[in-house]
Amino acid sequence: MILSARQITKRFPGVTALENVSFDLDSGEIHALCGENGAGKSTLIKLLSGIHPYGSYEGRLEVNGEEARFRGIADSAAAGVAVIYQELALVEEMTVAENIFLGCEPRRFGLLDTARMHREAAALLKKFQIEIAPATPVSQLGVGQKQLVEIVKALGKQSRILILDEPTAALAEHEARILLNTLRDLRGRGIACIYISHRLDEVFALADRITVLRDGGTVFTCKASGTNKAHVIRNMVGREITELFPRVVRMGAGLKMPALEVKALTVADPRTGRERLSDLTFSVGPGEVVGIGGLMGSGRTELLMHLFGAWGHRMFGSVALAGKPLRAKTPAAVLSKGMALVSEERRRFGLVMEQSIGFNLSLSSLRKMSTLGLLSAAREHERNFAFFRRFRVKAPGLGSRVSKLSGGNQQKVVLAKVLMTDPSVILLDEPTRGIDVGAKTEIYGLINDLTAAGKAVILVSSELPELLGMSDRILMLHEGRISGEFGPGATQEELLAAAMGTPIALPARPLPKYLLPPALYLPTL
Amino acid sequence: MSNRFSLRDLSLLFALLAIAAYFTYSVRDAGAGMFYENNPFLSARTLSQLVVEVSITAMLAVGMLLVILPGHIDLAAGSGVGLLGGLATVLINGTGWVTESLAAFHDFIARTFGPEAAGWCPPPPWPDPVAMLFTLVIATLFWGFMGSLIVRGRIQAFIVTLGGMLIFKGLFWNVIGSRTISVTGTTVGKTWAVTAGGETFQIPQDWLHRLTTEYVDARTGLLAAGVIVGLMFIARLRAWSRRKGLGIEGDDFELTFVKWLIAAQMLFIFVLVANQYKGVPLPAVLFAAVAFVVHTLTRHTRFGRHLYAIGGNEEAAIISGIRVQRVTIWAFILMGIIVAITGFMQTAYAGATTTVIGDLMELDAVAACVIGGVSLKGGRGTVMGVFLGALIMATLAKGMSLMGVGPEHKYMIRGTVLVLAVWMDTRLNRRAV
Repeated sequence: MILSARQITKRFPGVTALENVSFDLDSGEIHALCGENGAGKSTLIKLLSGIHPYGSYEGRLEVNGEEARFRGIADSAAAGVAVIYQELALVEEMTVAENIFLGCEPRRFGLLDTARMHREAAALLKKFQIEIAPATPVSQLGVGQKQLVEIVKALGKQSRILILDEPTAALAEHEARILLNTLRDLRGRGIACIYISHRLDEVFALADRITVLRDGGTVFTCKASGTNKAHVIRNMVGREITELFPRVVRMGAGLKMPALEVKALTVADPRTGRERLSDLTFSVGPGEVVGIGGLMGSGRTELLMHLFGAWGHRMFGSVALAGKPLRAKTPAAVLSKGMALVSEERRRFGLVMEQSIGFNLSLSSLRKMSTLGLLSAAREHERNFAFFRRFRVKAPGLGSRVSKLSGGNQQKVVLAKVLMTDPSVILLDEPTRGIDVGAKTEIYGLINDLTAAGKAVILVSSELPELLGMSDRILMLHEGRISGEFGPGATQEELLAAAMGTPIALPARPLPKYLLPPALYLPTL
Repeated sequence: MSNRFSLRDLSLLFALLAIAAYFTYSVRDAGAGMFYENNPFLSARTLSQLVVEVSITAMLAVGMLLVILPGHIDLAAGSGVGLLGGLATVLINGTGWVTESLAAFHDFIARTFGPEAAGWCPPPPWPDPVAMLFTLVIATLFWGFMGSLIVRGRIQAFIVTLGGMLIFKGLFWNVIGSRTISVTGTTVGKTWAVTAGGETFQIPQDWLHRLTTEYVDARTGLLAAGVIVGLMFIARLRAWSRRKGLGIEGDDFELTFVKWLIAAQMLFIFVLVANQYKGVPLPAVLFAAVAFVVHTLTRHTRFGRHLYAIGGNEEAAIISGIRVQRVTIWAFILMGIIVAITGFMQTAYAGATTTVIGDLMELDAVAACVIGGVSLKGGRGTVMGVFLGALIMATLAKGMSLMGVGPEHKYMIRGTVLVLAVWMDTRLNRRAV
């Protein structure tokens, strides 16, 4: 046993985050930690990595059979514990090699030994079969590659215990696969790994053992082979989820005048001048959910950010809201026309982390709560409190800082803020990313409520089951173009093929013949 | 966004008392006892001067808060104080090239459209209020332009205002011709006759030098304090009952009352002490007005919320539909106005405009903000904190002057206090988390 935590109890003012939790890790084991947000996973990790120092908790922590008394991250790192966080900690401006050796640069006569650094970085990367050149600037890497660099960086420091917090949340399917393979390889080399993920498929594909936490306590620990997804989910939420994707399709949805109509939209990246979105034409009707899928970099986020007036230089095409051309070019103007965006990066684009829940909730709707610019505290509180209740944000009150909330609750605050503006078209970019099953279900319910009220929703997601489960129609993007349009009856394979731009024939939905130019007219079988 | 008088403010208050006690002790007249009348630090005259100096420092610091909240800074404030004070002085005296240009403009209009048409733009010397208003307009233009450069040109505020600092300094010397020009200009003794309700009032035109020589007389001061305390009581009571009605967490009734009582006592003590000399100095009233406006802006308006949001997370602010550019430019325009007012007061307090007016005042303002708990990254800070910070900085400066500390030591001590205060603040904050 390389690590063990016994009878750990951790209290915060007013809350007991962990109560009597025991957890252990063998070398060469991947141990998955499952639980809803707020179940205590993050607290446990912070304890293991020394962020919550020795003395701030009750119970005993052992590494290699000896009691560990971490005073900070430096201590835990010295004991061989490395945490790979969701928010990566790489220096964008430096190269891969420089990042790997950040803080322990090889030196010669007091000067940096760049040659040795690159040599050793290359050796490390090769050892773990990662195909990235050590001299590449990190800013040029994709999220998945950055994650791998981060892992190599940890292993370069002789870490024996890796803790990965939602490592695949930001990865496309194929990137995730590379990461999972790397982890399996590391297991073979005796590295122990604590793996936290809301993607149960991965957990079952990877983990040797699974521990489920709920409300700060351990529900069970058992071999992965001794349980199944339904069982784990049931124990995470403590209730049976009969329907994960309860999409309620409304009859006649999307038949009226489209709420949002996009024609031949072509957009260039303002920085590079390169075309990022090409010739996109689609529409969303009132009460309709249009799902948009695609791999990372396919232009999904760029599309939403452009529609919202926050990104891109439009070269061609038009956007219309409820039949009227939308000429607004800034988020403020677009918002006032009734289109709202929930960004995938909630910490960056969604929340003012240092401020309270109330501050964040009303931020977009202050006009409604003020007379001649003077805020009415009563009106603001009334509206904030109504949304706080309706979204069931788990927090002591409106005055709590959003930085102290779990991911799911932060997401609820962002959603509530956006919906408080009463938009008619809602752009959701990965609304369920990195949040727990319970909160997910609530957000799906919310989408149904919105469409029932006649709102149009665009749902961008990298999880195919979510797209299939929640959308009335699905568009797949590949390199900035629409590579396929599907109904809810499509299969994951079809979607994936379209996302990867594989021109495989899809017999289910041939294009109408009259749309094809004569030269491409193929006889149907 | 708690509106409460925080623990941090309380510790600042204690630090202030300790500093005051130290000066009281160290400048005492040996053998003559430590308290009142005998003590130069506690003399009514010193305290009155201190009030004026605090008002000036705090005024600029409160303006600085407005630009630091959205995450910017204004290094041009000090030069601006000199320039704008100097401009107003030049205009009331009718000297320098600005006067000549304005006179030339007047002649041009008169030649082109006839002498009657040029009546609206007489050549300087102007009455003080006119000169000050003109200066205020110039200030809004300058600061509005700097704000636009920052947000539209995407140049860091540090660079833009550093450039502004140098340019304004040069322009300042240029405008006053590197001379010393008295604020008691040609308008002293002149009045406007205003008839209202059958009576004729004589309204003086020499406002500028009166800014720091006028006092609110004893009775009016007490009356005003009484009215303010009464209004404050009503406001607190209403806020408390509203909180209770809505179930918002906050101070209970006793605490609300005690805080009001303390504030009321402090205000009355202040007025009584000021009355020992000539009454409440006008700069204190001006500062109170500006502080009240800025407090209301930051705490109770949409504009203020937007300032905090931009400083807290600019990208999220943009996505939340805040017109970041417009809000930021407005913050700079308000700063320009406050710089101008501070310029008038500082120049008036010195009695004349000279090349050193305003030197390093921007750093005092930033220091007051930082000591007062304002985050230089933006998004955090209150008017109350800034006021306490300014109080500490100004008290230190005054006390050291009285002790006869040389300027070389003054600089070192003020720098040390600044760094020490911030160091303690970060330590205390870390422990609180």
